[in-house]
Amino acid sequence: MRESRLMLVQYVTAAAAVVLVAIHLLLQGVLVPYGTAISFGTVLSAYRSVISIVFLELLLVVVLVHGFNGVRIILHELRQTASWSRWVDAGTVIAIVASVGYGTRTILLAVLMGVSS
Amino acid sequence: MSTEETANNRKGVLGWINPHNHNAERWAYAFQRITGVAVLLYVLGHLGDTSFFVGGPIGTGPSESSWAFISGLVENSFGHMILVLVVLVVTFHGVNGIRLILAEFGVMFRKPRAIEYPYKPKGLNPLQRYVFVAAVAMAAIAALLAWWILFEGPL
Amino acid sequence: MKDIRLVVQRFDPSVDRKPRYVEFPVPFREGMTVLDAILQARDYADHSIGVRCSCRQASCGSCGMKINGKARLACYTQVAELRSEKVVVQPMDNFPIIKDLVTDLDGFFDRHRELLPRILRADEAEMESPTAEYLMSPEELDKILQFTYCIKCGLCTSSCPTVGTDSLFPGPQALAQAYRYTMDVRDEGGGERFELLDTRHGVFRCHYAGSCSAVCPKGVDPALGIQLLKRHVMSAKPPRGNGEGARVWTKGS
Repeated sequence: MRESRLMLVQYVTAAAAVVLVAIHLLLQGVLVPYGTAISFGTVLSAYRSVISIVFLELLLVVVLVHGFNGVRIILHELRQTASWSRWVDAGTVIAIVASVGYGTRTILLAVLMGVSS
Repeated sequence: MSTEETANNRKGVLGWINPHNHNAERWAYAFQRITGVAVLLYVLGHLGDTSFFVGGPIGTGPSESSWAFISGLVENSFGHMILVLVVLVVTFHGVNGIRLILAEFGVMFRKPRAIEYPYKPKGLNPLQRYVFVAAVAMAAIAALLAWWILFEGPL
Repeated sequence: MKDIRLVVQRFDPSVDRKPRYVEFPVPFREGMTVLDAILQARDYADHSIGVRCSCRQASCGSCGMKINGKARLACYTQVAELRSEKVVVQPMDNFPIIKDLVTDLDGFFDRHRELLPRILRADEAEMESPTAEYLMSPEELDKILQFTYCIKCGLCTSSCPTVGTDSLFPGPQALAQAYRYTMDVRDEGGGERFELLDTRHGVFRCHYAGSCSAVCPKGVDPALGIQLLKRHVMSAKPPRGNGEGARVWTKGS
């Protein structure tokens, strides 16, 4: 992928992250009292709301793509050998897939499974 | 440092994180890089702790006991201090990031035209410097708000 | 001020293992530049001090170095403006040291050449043997004039944090000149340059630290040129990249 396209992804995810993270922080203590926001019941009800589930998944993808692409850029500036460059690019994709996968797993389990003790 | 590295004379990573003796935008660059890495590290930790809602890495679904376990670990003064710092760095990184996006699309700059001495580079114009200052101010305000909510306000 | 203490970083990679700092007392004169002080020390105290200089008037770009921690031209920096009786001079960062204050600029010029710093025309035969003048109005010149003031001193590149680690990054000087030529109305080579700029170590490795513009002694403002260049590269539409639009004078027009 051209670097300009990757940078466009970086800028779009940046703008989206500013909005989504701001909403996330507002809901974790400003619009909803902090203690209530992190209580088991409130979190569970969030995973029962479609809007909330979509919001959380979007936040997950946007923040992790932006973050790991940023680290990719930093690592490319650190060393410039051919093998390092290949590993950085591959590592970025693996890191994004793994972390988004783990977060999505949390969301899916919370949405689909019943409460255990 | 070896003789070869000294002769090569590249500033290295120190040039990224040490903006001493440089312009304001260089300070913004250093903070943006440091806060970016810090936020990513926090997010990865946050992915881990929120997964305890479903019992952690080996969980199978929502578990009140697992959530109580992780809350017991992170919901304390030290954990809340970390959260205040996270709010500080996230707010700075976000607002300064918007400044960078606008700059890299050429917004906030006047078109180049003939210049006269003494030279005042338009690339370092006051408008984008005000946005940098605003980023620092908003980060401080957000951190103070987070401090009040987590330490002083009703939980 | 009666005397200044000129501290010169001495380092010859062929014989020294690490740099040392040698102090020279130099009598202060009104209007003295740092270059004057260095040449005074070289002429009367130690003939072996390595320093590169030429025009003494900020035209040639030869005497770039670090003065009290900041990248400056030695001939363009008055001792009095430093407001310090101690003046520490070191070679510019990010350039290989040849000896003492003299650095190797070969890589710097190579990076500049790689980004095609010349007017390129779609019709190569016409470019090699032009049959008429290429037109440029004063207003069109004004839009790129400041970028033509570059004297290739290297101060911007020495201040750039990306150049400090990324040996494939062209640096602010080369990128500013890429903007200068791409935006020149007589040029049709934007497309070729964009291929070189839109790469992993191209224009997007600039993160707007702005130190290049802060140290430029000629008002080139590379940071401005580079941010404006990024917008064009992002759009993937080089101005006049397809051979259209460049005007040519014809008799009677």
